[in-house]
Amino acid sequence: MKFFTVLGIIFYAVMIIVIGLALIVFALNLLLPADINNLLIFAQSSNNSRLAMGLSGLLLILISFSFAQIILGKFQREKTIAFTTSSGQVTISLSAVEDLIRRLAVIIPEVKELRPNVVANKKGIVVEMRVVLRSEANIPELTSRLQEITKSKIQEVLGVDEQIIIRIHVAKIAHDEKDVRRKKDFEKEDYSTMPFTGYGRA
Amino acid sequence: MNRDESRNELGVLRIHKNVISSIASIAATEIEGVKRVGRSKQNGLVELLENKFFSVIKVEINKHEEVKIQIPLIIKYGYNIPEIANRVQENARLALERMSNLSIKEINVNVQGIERG
Repeated sequence: MKFFTVLGIIFYAVMIIVIGLALIVFALNLLLPADINNLLIFAQSSNNSRLAMGLSGLLLILISFSFAQIILGKFQREKTIAFTTSSGQVTISLSAVEDLIRRLAVIIPEVKELRPNVVANKKGIVVEMRVVLRSEANIPELTSRLQEITKSKIQEVLGVDEQIIIRIHVAKIAHDEKDVRRKKDFEKEDYSTMPFTGYGRA
Repeated sequence: MNRDESRNELGVLRIHKNVISSIASIAATEIEGVKRVGRSKQNGLVELLENKFFSVIKVEINKHEEVKIQIPLIIKYGYNIPEIANRVQENARLALERMSNLSIKEINVNVQGIERG
């Protein structure tokens, strides 16, 4: 176990014990509200104690933040695809597979944005994609092509024989700014070149 | 145990784990298709603390002086991951055996991300 993880666990255990003890002491009437009040007044009385309190608060926030990041990062790292070679084990993080799929948006010009989510379970590798398409794209043809490309890319790069299920959710069809601008320019040009326009009937 | 230790008639030779991790890191980056050794981009503070206090390559040495290494990798887009991982394992094994005479038990590669080359 990492040093920081151990430190974090000890820190949170100590904090919870302290809170528990404080509640017990308070419940047994060993600590009166006036005592707490006096303690707080004393803590706020000098600049040094206020500075110490402020710095302690900041340190607590930093420790909590780092600990949460380490724990979350650990959970994230545990999601992997693994296989063994003669020299040892190779694990591929699912976020690496997501990175790979995200790059496909560059290959297919009709795809404006692509957000993949990869899950590995007993069925195989399940890829869920949320895509934003550019306008005038044929959705059935495009999604089928995207599924094929994604599947072949995963098989090619990962070299896995497992079943790959690809689910696509078209979230939005975005208007391509270039197309819109071109259309506007065309309309303007068309209007200006039309002869005998602009005359109203008297 | 933080160091691998061997004794000869003149004294003791110790190889620090950081040396083993450095050799493995250099051997891994020699392979074409490896972008870098390390984890995918994460929170700046955590990354800074981890880089400062821990090596990204984990080295374990057991009682029989067998070495087990974990190498996190970022691979360039477009390369075959199993092939690159295999080549990294082989190159790291060769480099470690050549430079330190250690007995390598396992070299585990953990592909953490893919980045543009």
